[in-house]
Amino acid sequence: MSTHTIATPRRRSTHRRGSGGIVAVVFLVLALAWTVVPLVWMVLGSFKGPGDVTASTPQWFFEPTWRNYENLFSGANNLATYLNHSVIAAVGAAVIATVLGTLGGYGLARTAFKGKKGLSFWFISTRMAPIAAVVLPLFLVFRFAGLIDTLPGLILAYLTFNLPFAIWIMSAFFEAIPPSLEESAEVAGCTRWQTFWYVALPLTKAGIVTTAVLCLVFAWNDYAFATVISGPNSQTLPIAATQLVTQTGVDWGQLTAIGTIVVLPMILVGLAVRRWLVTGLTLGAVTGE
Amino acid sequence: MSADQTAGQHGPHGGRAATESAGGGAGQVGPGSPGVGPTPVAPPAGQHDRRGSGRITFTGWMMAPGVALLGLLSLIPLVMLIMMSFSRVRLLGGLQLEFVGLENWARAFGDVELWKSWGLTLGYFAATLGLELMLGIAIAVVLNRLTRGRGLLLPLILLPMFVAPSIVGLLGRYLLDPTFGLYAQALQGLGVEQDVLGNPVSAFVAVTLMDVWEWTPLIALITLAGLSGVNPSVLEAASIDGADEWKKFWNIVLPSIKPILLVAILIRSMDAVRYFDIISVTTNGGPADATKIVPVRLYEAAFRFFDLGYAAVIGIMMLVLTIMIARLFVGLLSEKETH
Repeated sequence: MSTHTIATPRRRSTHRRGSGGIVAVVFLVLALAWTVVPLVWMVLGSFKGPGDVTASTPQWFFEPTWRNYENLFSGANNLATYLNHSVIAAVGAAVIATVLGTLGGYGLARTAFKGKKGLSFWFISTRMAPIAAVVLPLFLVFRFAGLIDTLPGLILAYLTFNLPFAIWIMSAFFEAIPPSLEESAEVAGCTRWQTFWYVALPLTKAGIVTTAVLCLVFAWNDYAFATVISGPNSQTLPIAATQLVTQTGVDWGQLTAIGTIVVLPMILVGLAVRRWLVTGLTLGAVTGE
Repeated sequence: MSADQTAGQHGPHGGRAATESAGGGAGQVGPGSPGVGPTPVAPPAGQHDRRGSGRITFTGWMMAPGVALLGLLSLIPLVMLIMMSFSRVRLLGGLQLEFVGLENWARAFGDVELWKSWGLTLGYFAATLGLELMLGIAIAVVLNRLTRGRGLLLPLILLPMFVAPSIVGLLGRYLLDPTFGLYAQALQGLGVEQDVLGNPVSAFVAVTLMDVWEWTPLIALITLAGLSGVNPSVLEAASIDGADEWKKFWNIVLPSIKPILLVAILIRSMDAVRYFDIISVTTNGGPADATKIVPVRLYEAAFRFFDLGYAAVIGIMMLVLTIMIARLFVGLLSEKETH
């Protein structure tokens, strides 16, 4: 049993129609506006002064200022610390998941034994498990183990979804390469490790990078685990952002600035792997452009 | 196959499927674990591996670290969750689990509010998925016909997928603020004067649309991958036969992307019980419980009221649901494989 199916290797030929009609163009413009306007508004907001950001008539043109960013990194706001926490937790979880996932995924792809189906199912259902159902017992276990409000605790929490994801998806990427290459390497006298290291690994470079990026995005964007497990010593950016919302009022300039800091790096790394994104996000069920 | 065979053996509760899958995994920790020699592993392995038992040992070693760590990270919490559901959990003065039998379960199944939350979850799921499918497919179809500019437009369309859901929620609040929100003011221009997040119906619509904003691009991306597999010569033949665009879409394109759409639906349905960040930071279940989907209720029960045993029952319900979805997903994959 395996993961890799519904292959659609055929590239689109030159068969495309020029005019989709005025309706299609209007629809596309609207869809684009719907998608982009909130993000543009957020980035603009982060450069607005206190009067402009909550002006009762929306300000598209204003005097830009770095004030919000400066305030976040100085004085009572120690966003640098939270940024640090976010980077350590997300990168840590992504690296560990990708390394163990690459090894495990290769093992899973290149083996056949009776319990393989059950093992695969365990991986996929662990990946799909609702965070709320996982964080609840984890909270008690971590309290017992002294892992609440620590970065290692946060990394372990993120591994509960990143590790099964990485094993599963890497196994899909390895299964996509023909075993004949590795067989001939073995005939030529390579050990199994050499075959893996020099033949299989280079062929799945894109897959490994995609896996690492998605693991990074999943962990970096987490709110559900961090809101329970993190504390003053391990607070991450999304938590810092939500804590700016208080009963007494919200500094929307700072909040849009944090939002921009959280979103921008993920957009950059995410778009960098967009060719393999669809495979990663459908857990290997769809391969495409 | 083996998964099906073990299915019947395990526990009496909702955790059945969970223990089953976990059991399948636990059984395999052995072969790969350090310290277990090749001899005891060889018999079951040798029967199925084409290249002899030596390879099993190697692949077993490759899987060992990941499987061992995941075993710790998933089995301990799973056992804990099941234990919690039969206990009254005390946190003060050291962790204590006091066995109360089926009390939590009886309370959960008799709780009308919880069933309302399930209904709401279903409604939220149907509304978000329905809109995402319609919009996502439409965007993909239009993008697919584009001769130029697609390389520039697609990345822009994909942007929301990378935004942390909690930031989506906060951004939604900024846009919908009744005094200065960009969208709130646009709505006021259209005659909608109320506080969008303060009214039960409009709050539900708003959190639905925030989810739609974030995940429609995923559906578009998946559909686009499916559309590249549609045979253009069939479409051409249909045009020659006089089929209009709508007929071609309905009779040719849609059937051929159906398997891929099914994948999209399953992926989104498991995410529907995973992600609740948007609701958590916007309405937190309110107003008047209008957006209190099940995971929000679980968080409230667990971390506001510290009714951890009761929350564990909700957690197991959710887990069983996702395991059923995972089963459909795996079934779909292996079905495609045999074709």
